[in-house]
Amino acid sequence: MALLELHGLTKRYGGLLAVNDVSFNVESGEVRAVIGPNGAGKTSLFHLITGVVPPTAGEVRFEGRSLSGLSPYRICQTGLSRTFQLTSLFPEMTARENCRTAAQARLAGRWRPWGGRSVFAEASRRGDAALERLGLTEMASRPAGLLSHGDQRLLEVAMALSQQPRVLLLDEPTQGLSVEETATAVETLAGLLADGSLTVLLVEHDMEVVFRLAKRITVLHRGAVIADDTPEAVKANQSVQDAYLGGYH
Amino acid sequence: MDLLPFLVTQCLNAFSQAALLFFLGVGLTLIFGIMRIVNFAHGTFYMLGAFVGYTTVRITGSFWLALVVAPLVAGSIGAAFELGLLRRLYRRDASAFLMVTFGLTLVLEEVIRLTWGVQALQVEVPDLFAGIVFLFDEPFPVYRLFLAGAGVVVAIAIWQFLERTRLGLLIRATSQNSEMVHALGVDVNMVRSGIFGIGCGLAALGGVLAAPLVTASLGMAANAIIDAFVIVIIGGMGSFLGSLIAAVLVAFVQVFGNYYFPDFALAAMYLLMLLVLVIRPGGLLGKEA
Amino acid sequence: MPLLLLVVAALLAAAPLVLPVFVLTLLTEALILGLFAMSLDLMVGYTRLISFGHAAAYGLGAYGAGYILLHSATPLPLAILAASLFAGVVAVGVAWVCTMATGVSFSMLTLAFAQLLFAIAFKWTSVTGASDGLAGIPRRAGPFGLTVFETKVGYYELALFCLGVAYVFCRALVNAPFGAVLRGIRENEAKMLSLGYNTRLYKIAVVAISFALGGLAGALYSPFAGFANTDLVYWLFSGQVLIMVIVGGQGTLLGPILGAAFFMLVQQVLSKWTESWALFFGLIFIGFVMFAPEGIWGLLSRWRVRA
Repeated sequence: MALLELHGLTKRYGGLLAVNDVSFNVESGEVRAVIGPNGAGKTSLFHLITGVVPPTAGEVRFEGRSLSGLSPYRICQTGLSRTFQLTSLFPEMTARENCRTAAQARLAGRWRPWGGRSVFAEASRRGDAALERLGLTEMASRPAGLLSHGDQRLLEVAMALSQQPRVLLLDEPTQGLSVEETATAVETLAGLLADGSLTVLLVEHDMEVVFRLAKRITVLHRGAVIADDTPEAVKANQSVQDAYLGGYH
Repeated sequence: MDLLPFLVTQCLNAFSQAALLFFLGVGLTLIFGIMRIVNFAHGTFYMLGAFVGYTTVRITGSFWLALVVAPLVAGSIGAAFELGLLRRLYRRDASAFLMVTFGLTLVLEEVIRLTWGVQALQVEVPDLFAGIVFLFDEPFPVYRLFLAGAGVVVAIAIWQFLERTRLGLLIRATSQNSEMVHALGVDVNMVRSGIFGIGCGLAALGGVLAAPLVTASLGMAANAIIDAFVIVIIGGMGSFLGSLIAAVLVAFVQVFGNYYFPDFALAAMYLLMLLVLVIRPGGLLGKEA
Repeated sequence: MPLLLLVVAALLAAAPLVLPVFVLTLLTEALILGLFAMSLDLMVGYTRLISFGHAAAYGLGAYGAGYILLHSATPLPLAILAASLFAGVVAVGVAWVCTMATGVSFSMLTLAFAQLLFAIAFKWTSVTGASDGLAGIPRRAGPFGLTVFETKVGYYELALFCLGVAYVFCRALVNAPFGAVLRGIRENEAKMLSLGYNTRLYKIAVVAISFALGGLAGALYSPFAGFANTDLVYWLFSGQVLIMVIVGGQGTLLGPILGAAFFMLVQQVLSKWTESWALFFGLIFIGFVMFAPEGIWGLLSRWRVRA
């Protein structure tokens, strides 16, 4: 059984079919990217998986259980942690506090109205570990709002990682970065994914980022899946070439 | 009383009330729509309108002049306030506006108390509309008919203003996407001051029109600001049509509520608001709050 | 810092030895208002839930304690506790509705609720005494024949004790994991939701706690003043306590207490030479919002850092 399964996921906005009968599985330990030109339905698909909007038809199953009807915070509690396309942090907290707050959400003592030293200690431990893995340890005590844009993007990944998620959902992790920043961020992420311990679903329109990070690629075009294959096969696929490059140039 | 005449008079009552509520709500919603500012002082401008109207009538004897003077006075104060203070706060979060306009409320209330005293002041209904007419043999004040008519006229005027004029277009555009308007090279700052003034002026216009019915008094502001907010919340923040619909809904609830269960009329209005919020958290025609 | 705080608390506790009674009365009121402002700080300063209806909490406590003391033989401390709990329980319902909205709409809903309570207090003659309010509220002796609260000094110490306990409670709360969640909501509620926090539940909880403490302040006030009337639920009072929080320094707990004291001081001084002290207070408030949003507490700490 796959960790995350999408079954005939469909979203219709009035006459517009944003997501059209999308099905694929994400296996445990897999790094899968969903790509497609702008307007292909990548963001809508992400909204459907994370419960921000309900699907018109179809369902998402996680570890065999349906996520239908669950609100976003419940879906996150089941073990899916996400980042946002537009950076979303706690700007006045330090990077460490950002990660600690993220990790705290997964601890039984997150409610504790007094004391809670052990809760904070455990949350900080998980948060610091995540910062370390993304090479942000030096930035830990700086307010998140003052970090560079590139570090902010990585901090958001670190926050998701602090939650020790079963599946990590990354929404365009290099969005808005310069060429140099993108290169650095991609190398950091590649290092993170190298040991194969993480299950990742990645939405991205930058082909180079995708080919560097993903082992498996789903190509969306006008809301529908037109290819689902290894990076090499996708590169060689004529219909992908037509749809993607045609849409771009 | 027979059912038909009763319904007709109550409905007309409600429509005249809706007109007053609409003047109150539409200014607030316009200001919010374009500036993302919640003007807590809105009810106080409404009250200011009533008092300035009273003085204008006392001096000149003309209610019609009061309808011009009061909005001008309130509008200028509002625009000056935007120019002098609010403008410096655009980098801060929304609560700063709420607080600073609340401070303005305190100051204006006190200024009004010092200027006009604590007595409620009666504004006479203009002679032209002083009488009553008989509808199905029931007496009905002409002034309320006039109010309902004025509401329709002003609503159409604002609608045409938004649809047909360049400023109206800018307002609609800015409420959709203010960055885009910036990019088009429009001086958004001037639009902001203007809108804030117009919004306050509309509130004052409502105040003058309400004065003959309720007298100009210091208690006006609190009720007015709550009514205004209820309308904007029900209609949807920033929606012109929403504020119109909400004004009518609230007026009907108030008028019929007052008749059937006077002790709970206020509660009825809140229940209506609650109902709308449960069904549509962003208001009837609003985007998600 | 905690040492300095203990010293101040000890000085305040010893104050009745040297201060004349009328100053003590003012100080008691300042302590009660300080507690009230601090309770609002949990919502405004720590969670960015701007309430324009916090007088509702005060009114619930004041009327609650007054009603209990007038209609039963309950000892004073129990009546105060019961009224505080009552405010907290009512707040759960209020918060459940108000948190359907966010941001400005939330503020307006709190205002609407407070005005609804005001209208009820104004109309429900048999329970609230309508426009006359409740008068002649006794400071009943007990429990165990304790009569100390009947005296001005005893009541002052009671108010000081309540404020102290409430402060320790609030400080523990904001330093605990719960407080960290509140700060997260303050800075980015959408992110908190996506991290898996049921933010609405936390907001309802903080409103209930804030109302219970605000209710405690109100419950202390009505036996102290001997009456409860609709002024205590009026929106103007809600605005005033918000001013105390902002002027004192939001998100610091101690700042709002200072803000309350400052408010009383300005009121006392200004009302000596002008009737329209509210005008100046409005101007002071605007000044703080515009130029010193961190409040008196912030100015003090900035000054301390420089010194």
